[in-house]
Amino acid sequence: MIYLKWGWRIVFWTVVVAFLHYTLPQHDIVRITDTYEKRVNPGENALFWSNANTGENVAATERDVFFIQTFRANEKPMIYRNEDTGWGWPPYFKFNTSNLQALAADFTSRRTDETAQWVAIRHYGWRNEFLSIYPNAVALWEVEGPDTRIIPWFNIILLTALGALWWAIRVRWRRFWAKRREPDTDEWAEGRL
Amino acid sequence: MVALMRLLIFGLVALTLLYLGLLWHFRSRRRDRMARDWQEAGRPGDRDAYIAEGMAQYERSLRRKLLWLVYILPVTAVALVIWLTNFN
Repeated sequence: MIYLKWGWRIVFWTVVVAFLHYTLPQHDIVRITDTYEKRVNPGENALFWSNANTGENVAATERDVFFIQTFRANEKPMIYRNEDTGWGWPPYFKFNTSNLQALAADFTSRRTDETAQWVAIRHYGWRNEFLSIYPNAVALWEVEGPDTRIIPWFNIILLTALGALWWAIRVRWRRFWAKRREPDTDEWAEGRL
Repeated sequence: MVALMRLLIFGLVALTLLYLGLLWHFRSRRRDRMARDWQEAGRPGDRDAYIAEGMAQYERSLRRKLLWLVYILPVTAVALVIWLTNFN
């Protein structure tokens, strides 16, 4: 029974943490080397592609998706997709995919360039080679260098608020049931009546 | 436009449920407090009239009007996010 209880707890919290890790914005400092467009055919991984309804037909099974090809500060490649999230989930309300692609193309900087152009990319999502999924770039702006530090204020505030909300509900839940629990002593026990 | 409609309709339903739930919660808390006040004030006059007067005061109060923030805050947040993501 105790294994079942802890098993469920671990599964539940893993899902919660994974969900937040996927959905919340993160920042990478990268050097953009290329931007391109590729035909994709979401299948089993369709959950990790956002086919937002921003005017186009969403019933089409094949479509072209913008990609941003980058190298991070540790010189490892990272590829971002660049898709609208529209009015759907996650609630970034991103409609400016084409503008972002133009911006990304403008920042291109190769290894052989005299001075590398470093940019910060705000994104959500995961890169997974086995599933062919890519994080979705949401915003980008130029930064001083590869070791620029970005403090995730939004995540700090949101996670604190979520923690407070969880705590408030938990305390009230416990209080609610504590009031309704059978008393340990009845009228026959000592010190009552 | 279907996606926008879906967001608006589900959002409106969810926020209305939250609004009504909070309204019910605050009203019942206020009613309990008025009943207790009436006891502690030495049972002045009719109990129901005392409570009704307190409830009428609540309906006119700033606290009651602040409950509209349930609608105002999320809409403002969405507008802010749209601006920050697309036009900043």
